[in-house]
Amino acid sequence: MSLLIGTFTIGFILSLLALGVFISFRIFAFPDITADGSITLGASVAATLLVHGVSPPLASLAAFGAGMVAGACTGTLHTRFKINSLLSGILVMTALYSINLHVMGRSNVPLLSVTTLATQAERIGLGVTRGVTSFNLAGWDVSVRDASVLCAIAFAVALTGTLLYLFLRTNLGMAMRATGDNVQMIRALGVNDATMIVFGLAISNGFVALSGSLLAQYQGFADVGMGIGMVVWGLASVIIGEALVGSNQVGLTLVGAVMGSVLFRLMVAVALRWGLSPNDLKLITAVFVFFALITPQFLRKARLRSAHA
Amino acid sequence: MLEVQSIVKTFNSGTPNEVHSLRGVSLTLEPGSWVIIIGTNGSGKSTFLNAVAGMFFVDEGSIRLAGRDVTRWPEYARAELIGRVFQNPFSGTSPSLTIRENLSLAARRGRSRGLGWGMKSTLVSKMRDEVSRLNMGLEDRLENAIGSLSGGQRQALTLLMATWLRPELLLLDEHTAALDPKSADLLIALTEKVVAHDKLTTLMVTHSMHQAASLGDRLIMMHRGQIIHDFQGAEKRRLRPDDLLARFEEVRRAEQLDESAAQMLAEKYI
Ligand SMILES: Nc1ncnc2c1ncn2[C@@H]1O[C@H](COP(=O)(O)OP(=O)(O)OP(=O)(O)O)[C@@H](O)[C@H]1O
Ligand SMILES: [Mg+2]
Repeated sequence: MSLLIGTFTIGFILSLLALGVFISFRIFAFPDITADGSITLGASVAATLLVHGVSPPLASLAAFGAGMVAGACTGTLHTRFKINSLLSGILVMTALYSINLHVMGRSNVPLLSVTTLATQAERIGLGVTRGVTSFNLAGWDVSVRDASVLCAIAFAVALTGTLLYLFLRTNLGMAMRATGDNVQMIRALGVNDATMIVFGLAISNGFVALSGSLLAQYQGFADVGMGIGMVVWGLASVIIGEALVGSNQVGLTLVGAVMGSVLFRLMVAVALRWGLSPNDLKLITAVFVFFALITPQFLRKARLRSAHA
Repeated sequence: MLEVQSIVKTFNSGTPNEVHSLRGVSLTLEPGSWVIIIGTNGSGKSTFLNAVAGMFFVDEGSIRLAGRDVTRWPEYARAELIGRVFQNPFSGTSPSLTIRENLSLAARRGRSRGLGWGMKSTLVSKMRDEVSRLNMGLEDRLENAIGSLSGGQRQALTLLMATWLRPELLLLDEHTAALDPKSADLLIALTEKVVAHDKLTTLMVTHSMHQAASLGDRLIMMHRGQIIHDFQGAEKRRLRPDDLLARFEEVRRAEQLDESAAQMLAEKYI
């Protein structure tokens, strides 16, 4: 049971990554690789601040801000210096590796004896149950600590997701969505598309870094290698989410990304349970995204062929 | 209103693909005038409109609009003064946004965009009114994505968007060319209505000799990056499609003459 709760918790934490990837890849059609670096940046900034006694909410907020700066750098490289979008992301991601090492001062920061959002959630949960440490749910023994962390992260995701949804419907948010959709049109309506891209990537990487900071607080450590392959992970979640909701209404696509993240995490947990080696995880993820990317083309061709027959 | 002073634009300058798209074009528009631009393919009509819109900076010359020198203004800044409808129905609207969202983007053309709510109820009811005036039944589909509309519907909406806030200058680049004849006629009727109603200063490119003869109060003909004819007033009113075709024929003959002369010279001297 505790394994299942843990799976959901990580699924929700990484859904913020999925939302970030959704903004860059789907809203802006910008293949932003920065996320691999900014998720670690969020983790290392939050971990370092926590170790220095900063309060967990503030440390998480700082992680969000750091991610925004990283995203803005990528956006500026692309718009101001006309560097190809992939390359801009790769440059910033590579630079972030060193920056993360500098932030942490070493390759790994443990958070075992530090107050984090996770320990705070546990304390609130235990306060509510008046010190009872486990309860029975449909015959399963559920730890109050695990359940409180899950509730807290689900609440946090719902809150940030709603804020993002509302933002995307403001004048500024609509201009951002239109920028990814039709640059020609948005310029003709007086919007500086370069500013929109810089700002959009900043928000995207803010979400990714926030996800990293929560991951570090949940796992109890930040590690310089934790971001490897995370963009692909986020993309897999987004693709699953799109298949789940099958709509391009803004609200539904956001819900889809969150659901996709949780579902993908569940699939991974099941695969690991069945004996998939953790070493093969990234390979499997990449292969999965590959198939998810080519399936639509495949279906279209098949449909055309059957239409001709 | 619009004062264009001998603008020059050369693409791919200094390479074998060098194109002299504009070779010193000057044009002054009175407020409220509607100028039709015709010319052969590649004569520089679109390039001229794009230069005015700011899609690129001109190599020489200056552009003044509504009393301001906009020669060095980027495209998005000029949008405050200019409304545009493109040839491609896909260019003027954002397909995955709804009709309402597209219109509310247009309702802030050239203005700041902050965290304000895009959907004020007064704005939405005005949208319903304006859209129902297009007579396309779109007023009940404001929540539909634009991607689901036909080309003619999109162009009508783009025209509505371009003129939602009264522009100092309206640029129409073959905005009916991609439509079937019936939709094209509808769009032209709409265009006449809005231009007359808002007394808009308009530059319109067309390949339809019928439109060129019947619309506007001035007509210019471009050829090889220059203005070669300029008909105004009574002279413009007298023009018939046949007269315009005759002008094109002249251009073609002159061209052939050029070619045969060049050939003769080449035979003689090379
Ligand atoms: N961005 C560009 N880069 C290179 N060449 C260009 C560019 N834009 C236009 N040209 C060239 O400039 C010349 C004029 O093109 P323009 O599009 O203005 O013609 P047009 O009069 O609009 O023709 P049409 O009737 O076919 O639309 C053409 O030779 C074209 O190839
Ligand atoms: Mg053209």
